Order: sequence, then structure tokens, then C-alpha cells
Amino acid sequence: MASTTTRYFAGPWWKRKDFQRTALLWLILTPIIGYFCSEIQVGAMGAPASEVMATTERLMRIFTWAASPVAAFVAAMAIVALLGKRHHGYTPPPDSEDVIETSPKSIAVWMVSSALLCLFALVVGMVALQKDNASLLDSKAIQVNVTGQQWVWNFAYPGDGGVRSQVLHLPVDQPVVFHVTSKDVKHSFWIVQMGIKIDANPGEFTETAVTPNKIGTFDIRCAELCGLLHAYMQNKVIVQSKKDYAAWLSRQPNSTVSTWTKPGAAA
Amino acid sequence: MTTTMTHTAPTSGDTPKVGIIRHLNVFTAFALGIITALVVWRLALAFLPENAEAAVMATREDKIALLSMVGWFVGFMTGIGALVGPFRWLMGKDLSHEENMYLAGKDMGAKRYFRYTTDHKVVGIQYLIITMTIFGIGGILAMLIRANLGKAGGGWIHPQAYNSIVGTHGIIMIVGTIIMITGPFGNYIMPIMIGARDMAFPRLNALSFWLIVAAGVPLIWGQFLGGISTGWSAYNPLAGQAPLGMDGYIMFICIFALSTMVAGANITTTVVRMRAKGMTWNRTPIFIYGVVASVALALPAFPVFFLSQILSAMDRALGTSFYDTANGGSGWLYENLFWIMGHPEVYVILIPAVAALMEMAPVFTRHPLFSFNIAVMGIAGISGLSVLVWAHHMYISGWAPLLNAPFMLTTELISIPTGMLFLVLIGTMWRGRLWITVPTMSIFALLWNFMIGGITGIYLSDVPADAFLHGSMFVTAHFHYTLMGAGLTGALASLVYWFPKMTGRMLDERLSWISFWFVQIGFNVAFMGMFFVGLQGQPRRVEAYAAIFSRGNLLTSIGAAAIMTGMLVLLAAVIGSWRSGVKAPMNPWQAKSLEWTVPYPVPLENFETLPVVTEDVYGYGRKK
Repeated sequence: MASTTTRYFAGPWWKRKDFQRTALLWLILTPIIGYFCSEIQVGAMGAPASEVMATTERLMRIFTWAASPVAAFVAAMAIVALLGKRHHGYTPPPDSEDVIETSPKSIAVWMVSSALLCLFALVVGMVALQKDNASLLDSKAIQVNVTGQQWVWNFAYPGDGGVRSQVLHLPVDQPVVFHVTSKDVKHSFWIVQMGIKIDANPGEFTETAVTPNKIGTFDIRCAELCGLLHAYMQNKVIVQSKKDYAAWLSRQPNSTVSTWTKPGAAA
Repeated sequence: MTTTMTHTAPTSGDTPKVGIIRHLNVFTAFALGIITALVVWRLALAFLPENAEAAVMATREDKIALLSMVGWFVGFMTGIGALVGPFRWLMGKDLSHEENMYLAGKDMGAKRYFRYTTDHKVVGIQYLIITMTIFGIGGILAMLIRANLGKAGGGWIHPQAYNSIVGTHGIIMIVGTIIMITGPFGNYIMPIMIGARDMAFPRLNALSFWLIVAAGVPLIWGQFLGGISTGWSAYNPLAGQAPLGMDGYIMFICIFALSTMVAGANITTTVVRMRAKGMTWNRTPIFIYGVVASVALALPAFPVFFLSQILSAMDRALGTSFYDTANGGSGWLYENLFWIMGHPEVYVILIPAVAALMEMAPVFTRHPLFSFNIAVMGIAGISGLSVLVWAHHMYISGWAPLLNAPFMLTTELISIPTGMLFLVLIGTMWRGRLWITVPTMSIFALLWNFMIGGITGIYLSDVPADAFLHGSMFVTAHFHYTLMGAGLTGALASLVYWFPKMTGRMLDERLSWISFWFVQIGFNVAFMGMFFVGLQGQPRRVEAYAAIFSRGNLLTSIGAAAIMTGMLVLLAAVIGSWRSGVKAPMNPWQAKSLEWTVPYPVPLENFETLPVVTEDVYGYGRKK
């Protein structure tokens, strides 16, 4: 028994067979997991229709690639363990040889690297969050009031004489700030391809901002269960060139009364 | 109870004097519960004033429903005998020794499973049966959901009924997963594992189980009063608008929260006070840590849940406005209270499952647990952090945008202690000799599922990514990966592992393998499909979806059918093996923990002489 012990533990750890096998598997699996997982996920999310969505897809890629070494490491160790000594039957196998009951060094490496990954994810997220928050204060943005009620969305353009619409029209490459509220229960205002979402709360205004950068028709869906016809609380957003948008706006019957009050101003 | 070794047996021949307890069982409980509910209902109908203000919605009906349900609850608990002990104590004399032994189910046979029995082993079996029942009902509801989502466009179930099915599936599966390990195995196995004769408070143990039975009835009752059309989270003000079925939900949660608090206090006390001589914290099996962390986390969490529902009930029935924005309340208050419970609660579910597999890993690899200290630190770290992360469920609610970054920090920090649990599991398998059994493969399944659940959790913890993913099917898939892929896998492995001790028979090996593969493959197919449609933009809890989501939903339905098949096979295995399986030896896995040192049937009070512990239970292949 003593001889087997020394044979396994003799020499530097990086020369052990099982370690080398794991390291090789890890090197192979990391790019495979990173590539396929990020491509499939971002592929499913579809082409972005705003910078926010592009950032979100980039974040998904970054997180997937950052997580893939960890996933690959666990997978490699699990595979090597599974392909190692196996035993079938109704009685237990003999005890393992050359057991490693603890290893302060590998624990330290594991904890430091998970802490660093954690820090990295946090910083990346904060940077993106900061950008999203800053866009709320864009002084060039047009303002749109969004009101959810069971089970439709209503839009008002207070800056343009109080135009109201059931379908959201937006000019391309123009920052927009949405002021979202609800008449009854909680809804959640989600423009899928633009990657923005904010809850519509009764009696409160919440804000979110986006700059659509693609002309086309995109989906608005309610993302918070709001009762009977929640599934059908969907709508379209039509992103147009600035000229088309202006034309659409001028065709709308103007309502002289603006329903929009700046949040907080009412109090 | 610890003095029983020295007591003198009651004089033989006489039937012990046990008074009213003899006559109380589950049938008297149901009878008294139903009668009380009917009486209260009739009285409320007769005496409650009509709604004075037209503006107030249906509060009279809510009062009647809630009062009747309270009547049911009081009647049921009286009928089962929960009040006999406290009442006697109030009268100045506690139960006699004979009565306590009668309560423990001494020499009673199968009848003790239908009574207010205090023996922890009986309670464990009762919990096992009710957990299986809950999963059965929840599973049927899940299949109904899938049946309704069979093809794009609207389903065949009315939206109101569909929403109620989704909500009921959610809440009872949550309850089922909360009790699935700490209930059956925490009650049956844990006291033996620590070398105790019973729980610290045997009567509270019986109470915690029968409270769950009492809680179930209002939930079923609610289905006939309009159902729970709000999802399991029952957000206000939607819940304020919901039909009377909501009152059933409220009563269900309140009673279940009581059960959890009682069980939590009991199990924590038992582990802290009643471990065998020599079982220092370093020698206490890791499963015990998992169980204690789980129930101890429930202790701060569930009172908050209880409170949130009491306020909800007051809003509905008494015209208060805690959650009503128009009258000075706030829906965000509800969300906060709900998630202050809700996030610790997912770790209540997860921790004991991982801990159970960490307990099994050394047994099936014949290798010591890799770094016991790190395992304990991981569990403690998760438990500590889990109470500080709740508002990540509210990133996009608009409640406090400035708090998003701090909550992103705490949420991402939790990946560090979670990583420690992974390290312990893979470290234990490293250089181990794998004994290929269902629990062994469950460890691999857990690593796979929990890895996916964990990494998708990191996407969700990130505020900008959550702005896309929140409220979509991606979230649904994520928490199924953690609670089902990791949690349920641990519970099923526990069932295979401890089945011999609980029933005296081995669980059919062939059937459990078939079930394992059906469940695991089906699970991954189902929820990969769900991740996919979530990324494509399908919201959760919808009863109709656009054609682009067809492919992913089809995958989910196919996977769900495979899970159902696997679960039915498992059910057949459990029933078949329990009735006529291969008789199990005392220690079929040759494990070192104390529960394998007692014979089957485990005698009342478990040990003739209490064991003394001299080393930990993981000494496989360890050099002296």
C-alpha cells in the first residue's frame, strides 16, 4: 500500500496522468462550450433593434465565455472521474487509494478565481447599467407615456400636442424615454427586440429609455401576469424614418390636453 | 423522552389509560373540520352585515370564505388531537407516560400513520407520502399546462382556469420541494443519524405534519371558488382583484408557514441539543448541516410570508389598503415581503438536496468528503447571503433603481459559496472508485443541471441582461433547473439511498434506472426548449404563444412527457418495492453514518444504548 501511495504522489503534480487528462479535456471543452452556448443563445435572441439589445447580447456572450472555463473544468473532472475506476454490483468496492482529502492550494485557486470572475461580471454589468441609466437623462430624447391596462397598451406623445395612439410609432435613431404606468394591476412593458423592459405600476411612473436603430416592426409584450388575457396583451412598435414618423404624427388628430406630468412634479 | 431507559413498564394486563387521544384520528379530524367550517359558514352568512359601500368589492364574501376556512383549520386541528396536550398542560397536568407512549404509536401498527403520532419515523413516512402526493398533483397540473401549450395560438383551457392551473402548479410544487428532503429524510433519518431517540419536541413534529394536511384543504377548496389566477407569487393588486379562490391561497400559505416555522424550530433544536456523545460539529454529517441550514433559513423567511398574506387577507376582507396604491398602499410592499421570503426559500429547497448528495458522494466513491470545512462554509455562505439578495427579483419593477447595483453585487457574490459546493462534489469524486448506482449518477446529474441553473442565474443577476430576460420563459427554465434539476435530483437520490432504511426493502434497481434516465433526459429536453423560447421572447405564464415559439414549446412538451413517464415508473418502483421488494440488509451501502447501525424496523426510540461517536463518517481509504 505504501508503494502505491508513493507512486501516485511521487513527482510533481502536473506530471500525474489524471491531471494531464483533465487539463487536456478542459482545454478542449472550454472553447466548445463557450462557442456553442453563446452562439445558440445570441442566435435565439435575434437581431438587435437597438444599442441596448446589442449590449445585452454582448453581455450574454461575455458571461457565457467567462463561465465556460468553469463549466468545462467541472465537466472535465466529472468525465475523468466517470471514466476512471468504476464498480458495478451489490457490494461496495474497496476503499479508494491515494485519496486527497483536502487541498488548501486548489481550494485557494478555486476561490480566488471564482471571486475574480464574480468581480468581472459585476464590473461588466455595472458599466452596461451605467450606460442604460445615463440614457434616461438624454435631453434630446422624445418622451412617450405608456399606460398599461387590462389588456392593452396606450401611448401618448405629450411633446407633440398630446397625440395618442394604440400602436407605438417611433423615429429611428432618436432617443426615446418611456414613462410607464398602469391603470389597474401590474403589467410589464417589454419591447422584445430592443431589450428594454420596465414594470407598469398603478399610481407610479417608471422610466426606461432606448434608441431604436433599425427601421421595422417589433414586438411589445406584457411580461407580468396581469389576469385573464395576459397572453394577448401584445402590440407592435413601428420604427420609421424620421420623415415617415413626422408624416404619421401630423396625420394624428391632436388632443390639446396633455396627460403627461413629469413624475414627481404632481406631488 | 430520554429517561425512558429507566422507566418501569406499566403493570401488565391493564390497558393503559389514555383518555380522549384514543378516539382521535384523521377521520375525526376531517369530520370536525368540515362540521366546524359549515357551522362557521352558516353563522357568518347569517350575521355578517351586507357590504355597506358599493365601492368595496365583495368583502363580505371574502370574510365568509376566510372565516369558514379558519373554522376548518381549528376544527381539523382539534379533531386530530393537536390541542389535547396544550389543553392538559393548561389544566395543570401534562400527558401521562402511557399517553405519551400511545401518542408515539407504541404497538399500534398501521393505524399510527393516521393519527397525531409523535414518533419521528412515522412523521417521516407521512411526509414522504404527502410529498409524493403533492408531486403527483403538481405533475398532473404541469401536464395540463403542456397539453394547453401543445400548439401555437390559444389552447383549449379557459384562460381563467389556465392561470389557476399555472398558479396552483407553482405553489404546490414550491411547497412540495420545500418539504421533499427535510420532511421525509429530515424527520426519519436525521434523528437516527445524529444518534438521538426522537426529535426535541415530538408533539411539534406531529403538529408540523398535520398542519400541512390542514393547509392543503383550503387550497383545493379555493379551486372551486374561482381558483388562484395570479401565478404562485400572487402579486398585488392582481391578487386583490382575484376571485375567492385567492382566500384559499392565503389560508394555505398561512397554515403552511406555521408548519414550516414549527418544523424549523424543532429540527434546529434537535440538531443543536441532541447529537450523540462525541458528535462534535466536525463529526456531524454534512447532510445534517444541509437540513439545519434549510430549516433555519425558513425561520426568518416564512414569518414574512405569513405576514404578507395576512395583509393581503385584510386588504381583501377588511377594506385596508396595504397594497392598494389608490389609497396609500403599495404593490411594491407586497413584492418586497414576498421576495424577502422568496429568495431564502429557493435555498431552503436547494441546500438540503446538495447536502444529501454530498452525504452520498463519499459512500459511493469510497473516498472521504473533499474538504468538509469548505462544504460547511459553502452552506453557511449561501445561507447568509441568501437573505440579502431578494430585490434582484425586482430589478425592473421600478421600485428602487438605485438599489439595483448593490443587489447585483450580493447576488453575484452568492456564486462563490455555490462554487464551493461544486468543488466539494468534484473533489470527492476525484480519485474515487465510482460505485455505479442511481445516487452516484444523480451526483453527475446534479453537477450538470446545477451548472446550467447556476450560470443562467448569473445572466439573470445582471441588471441589463435581466431587462431582457425577466418575466420570460428563460426565468421559468432557470428556476426549474435549480429547483428540479438540482433539488429534485437530490431528493430522488435520497429516496433510493434511504429507502432500505425506511421500508426495509431495496428500491427496484432496474426500474429506478429507467426512471432516472427518463427523468433526466426528459428534464433537459423540456427545459432547454424553454430556455430557447425565453431567449426568443416568450413571456411566462401565457396561455397562447406566437408561431415562432412552436419548436421550443414542442421540445418542452416532449420532454415533459418523458419526465411523466419516468415519474410513473418511479411510482411503480416505490409501490412495488415497498410491498414486495428484495429485503434490505441493515447497511446495504456499507456506509459509516449512524442510521445504518439500527435494524429495520427501527425500534421505537431508535437506540437501545445511545451511541458514542469517535470520528467523522467519511473515513474511506483514509490513512491512519
